[in-house]
Amino acid sequence: MHSRVTNLAAFLGFGAILLALPHTLSFSQQEILVFLTINVLVVASYRLLTLTGEWSLGHVVIMGVGAYASALLSKRLGIYVPASMLLGAVTAAMVALALSFPLFRMKGFYFLIGSFAAGEIIRLLWKRFREPFGGPKGIKKIDPMPDFDIGIYAFDFFEPISYYYFALAVVGVSLWVMWRIERSPVGLTFHAVHWQDKLAEASGVNVRAYRTLAFVLASGFAGLSGALLAHYIGTINPNSFDVEQMVFVLTWTIVGGTATFYGPILGCVVLTILNEIVLREAGFEQMRPLIYGLILILSVLFMPKGLESLVRGALSWRNAGKKKVGETEATE
Amino acid sequence: MAPPVLEIDNLTMRFGGLTAIDRLSFNVERGAIHGLIGPNGAGKTTTFNVVSGFYKPTGGEVRLRGETISGLRMYEVARRGVVRTFQHSTLFAELSVLENALIGTHMSFPPNIFAAMAGVDKANRRAARARAEEALDFFGLSGLAEELAGDLPHGHQRALGMAVALAARPDVVLLDEPFTGMNPEETGRMMELMVKLRNTGVTILLVEHDMHAIMGLCDRITCMSFGRLLAEGSPQEIRHHPDVIEAYLGGARHVA
Amino acid sequence: MVELLAQTGLNALYAASYTALVAVGLVLIFGVMGVINFAHGELFMLGAYAIVAVYADWNLPYLVAVAVGMIFVGIVGLGMERAFFRPLRDNPLGGLVASIGFLMILQALVSMGFGVRMEHVPPVTQDVIVITERVRLPVFRLAVILAAVVLLASLWAFLKKTRFGWALRASAQDPEAAALQGISINQTARIAMFIGAALAGVAGALTAPLISVNPHMGHSVIVTAFIVIIVGGIGSLEGAVIVAVAYAFVHTFVTTFFDGVIADIVGLLLLLIVLIAKPTGLFGSTDRA
Ligand SMILES: Nc1ncnc2c1ncn2[C@@H]1O[C@H](COP(=O)(O)OP(=O)(O)OP(=O)(O)O)[C@@H](O)[C@H]1O
Ligand SMILES: [Mg+2]
Repeated sequence: MHSRVTNLAAFLGFGAILLALPHTLSFSQQEILVFLTINVLVVASYRLLTLTGEWSLGHVVIMGVGAYASALLSKRLGIYVPASMLLGAVTAAMVALALSFPLFRMKGFYFLIGSFAAGEIIRLLWKRFREPFGGPKGIKKIDPMPDFDIGIYAFDFFEPISYYYFALAVVGVSLWVMWRIERSPVGLTFHAVHWQDKLAEASGVNVRAYRTLAFVLASGFAGLSGALLAHYIGTINPNSFDVEQMVFVLTWTIVGGTATFYGPILGCVVLTILNEIVLREAGFEQMRPLIYGLILILSVLFMPKGLESLVRGALSWRNAGKKKVGETEATE
Repeated sequence: MAPPVLEIDNLTMRFGGLTAIDRLSFNVERGAIHGLIGPNGAGKTTTFNVVSGFYKPTGGEVRLRGETISGLRMYEVARRGVVRTFQHSTLFAELSVLENALIGTHMSFPPNIFAAMAGVDKANRRAARARAEEALDFFGLSGLAEELAGDLPHGHQRALGMAVALAARPDVVLLDEPFTGMNPEETGRMMELMVKLRNTGVTILLVEHDMHAIMGLCDRITCMSFGRLLAEGSPQEIRHHPDVIEAYLGGARHVA
Repeated sequence: MVELLAQTGLNALYAASYTALVAVGLVLIFGVMGVINFAHGELFMLGAYAIVAVYADWNLPYLVAVAVGMIFVGIVGLGMERAFFRPLRDNPLGGLVASIGFLMILQALVSMGFGVRMEHVPPVTQDVIVITERVRLPVFRLAVILAAVVLLASLWAFLKKTRFGWALRASAQDPEAAALQGISINQTARIAMFIGAALAGVAGALTAPLISVNPHMGHSVIVTAFIVIIVGGIGSLEGAVIVAVAYAFVHTFVTTFFDGVIADIVGLLLLLIVLIAKPTGLFGSTDRA
C-alpha cells in the first residue's frame, strides 16, 4: 500500500515537472522540447519493434509515411488535423502490414537490408511522384493544429508551449499503451519470440504473427510521431526521413539500451540535452553527425547494454544498501 | 483396440545427399509411453523435428488421430495437441522460470491485446498463472519460480523444458532425451512423474539413451538405425533382439 | 537508334565496372569477416575526394592520385578493422551498426574538410575514339572499364594463386578450420579489409572525373552495392561480378529510356523479390546469416 502511495506521488511530481518545464525555457529551447517529446515516441516505438528481435532500418521512413499521410489528408481532403494524425498512424501501420509479408521471410542481416531497401523504395516514390507527394521538395504549408480551448487552458498552436502540451498528452497516452502491452501476456510472448522462437513456436505461438503484430503496432506509433512532427514544422520532404535520421534513432536506442522500457527514452533525452547544451552552446553544432557517429561506435563497443544498465547498476546497488539497513534493523 | 493416436507412415527426410530418415513407419498407441531409441545419428531428433512440424518431410506422412499433420507449421501441430521438448536445453534463458511456464499456457489462454490494454483479461491471466504454477509444481520447481531459467542447474532446466510442454496440456508429448544431465536419483523421480503423467491420459513419445529408464518406462519401443526401422516390440523383445544388440555393440553393452 | 544503344551499352559497362569493384570488396569483407560494411559507400566517396585533393587541388598526375586514393582508403579500412570490426567479431550486427556510425563520421569529416558543395574534377582526357560518324567512344570511360577488368583479374589471380589468397578463401569457407591450419583470423581480416576498402577507394577515384563529387555520394553507391551483393548471393564473388554487370545494364537502360528514380525503384524491387524468393541470392549456396 505504502509503495502505491509513493508511486502515485512520484508520478504526480514527475507530471508537474513536465508541465512546468517549458516555463523555465527560452523560446528556442521550447521548440527543442517539442522535438524531444516527439522523438521519445519514435524511440519508444522503435524499441517495441525490436522486442521480437528484429532490427529495422526502415522505421524513420515509416514515421514519414504517417507524416505524409496526415499532411496530405488534412491538406487535400480537409480532414480535421487530429483525425488526420490518427489516420496517418493507421496508414503507417497498414504500410507496415503490407511490408511485413516480404520482410518477415527474412531474419537478421537480411531483414535489416530488406527493411532498408523497402524504406528506400518508399522514399524514392515520394521523390518521383510530384503528385501527390510533392517530389524532392516535399509538402509545404501543412495545416497547423487548429487552436482549441479546454476550459482550463487555451491551446494556441503558434506557441511551441501549446504544441508541447498537446504532444506530451499524445505521447504520454501512447507510452502508457505500449507499457500496458509490454506488461501483458502479449508482451511476454514478444519476449519469448525474441529469445527462443523455436520453443515459442513449439508452444503454439504463431511466431510470424507476433513479429508482424509488434512491427505493425510499432509502425503505427511511429506514424503518429511523424504526424505530430509534420503538423508542427509545416514542411516535410523525403530527406526529412533519410538514413541520417535513422542513425539518430539507432543511436538513441543503442545508447539507452533496449532491455528496459525506459532505456531508449533515456538515451534520447540524455543525448538531446547533450546536443543542445554542450554542442550548441560550444558552437559545435555542425559536428552533430560526427559526434553521433562516434557515440554510436563507442556505445556498441563499450556499453553494449546501454545507459539503462548503468541506471540498473545504481539501483541494485541502492537496493542492496537498503537490504543491509533492513537486516540490521531485524537483528536489533 | 483403440486406433493409434500417432501414425508415422513411410516417412523420409533427406538433407541434400544425406538421408536422415529412410521410409520409417511406426504407430504410437493412445496413452502409451513409447520409446524411440537408436545409436547416435540414427535420426531420432530428426523424426521429432518432422513430427512436430519443424521440417517438412521429403516423403511419407505423419497422421494424428487419422488426420495428416506433416507439412503443417510447428505452431499448428502444437495447436492440434502435439507438443515437444528439445534435445539441448532450449528455454527462454532470459525469462523467469514462471514466465517460461506461462509461455507454455499460450494455447490454452491465448493473449488478447485489446483485453490487455483495457485491463479486462484479469481472469485469463490468473487462470494462466494457476496452470503454469501447477506445471512447475508437478516437476518440483515451484520454489524456483522467480529464478532466471538460464541460471538453473542442468537437471532443473530439463525439468523446466517438460514443464513448459506440459503447461500446454498436450495429448501427445515428444520428449527428446529428457533425462540427460540428471543424476540417478533425479532420473528416478522423473520416471515416476512420467508414469503419473501417462496415467492422466497423456501419450508420451520418448527419445532417451538411458537404457535403464527406457526399459523401465516404455510400453513399447521402436529402435532405429541409419534412419531405418530396425526393430519394434516390448522392452523384453527389444532387449533380446539380435539386430538391436548388433547396432549398439561397442556402445551401450548393458542393453544385452 | 544504333548509336544510342552503343552509347548506352558503353555507359552500362562503365557503370558495371565501378559497381563491380565496390560490390566485390563488400562481398570479400562479408565473406572473411561475416559483417556487412555499411560505410562502404563512404569509402568510395573518400576515394573520389582523394582525386579532388591530389589531382584537382595539388595538380599531381591523375594516376598518382588514383594510387594515393586506393592506398589511403585501404588504410582507412585497416583502421576500421582494428577499431571496431575486430572487437565486435562475435557480434556481426554490432559491427554493422558501428559501420553505420563510421559512415556518419566520414561524411562529417569530409564535409568539414571540403565543404558540402559539389566538387567538379577537371577531365583527365576528353579524347574520343570515332568508330563511325555518330558512334564516338570516350577514351576515359574505356580506360575505367579496362582498369576495372585488370583489377578484378588481379584479385582473382591473388585469390587463386597466392598463399594469402588461399588463406582468405579458406577462412571465408570455415574460419575455425582455417584457424586450426595456422591462419590467423586477424591477418586474413586485415587483408580482406584492406583489399575491400582499397577496391571501393579505387572505384571512387576512377569515377571522380565523371561525376559530381559530394559528401553524400556514397548513399546511392551503397544501395546499388547491396542490390548487387544480395541478388548475386551474399558470399559469392563471381555472383557479385555477374550481377553487377547485369544490373548496370538494366539500370542504365531504364535510366536512359525512363528515368533514374524509376531505375532505382526497379533495382530495389529486384532486391526485395530475390530476398523473398531465395534469401541466399541467385549464386549463393551458403547461408551464413
Ligand atoms: N538440418 C540438418 N541438415 C543436415 N543434416 C542433418 C540435419 N539434421 C540432422 N542431420 C543429420 O541427420 C542425421 C540424424 O541426426 P539426428 O539428430 O536425427 O540423430 P539422433 O538420432 O537424434 O542422434 P543423437 O542420439 O546423437 O541425438 C545425422 O547424420 C545428422 O547429421
Ligand atoms: Mg538427437
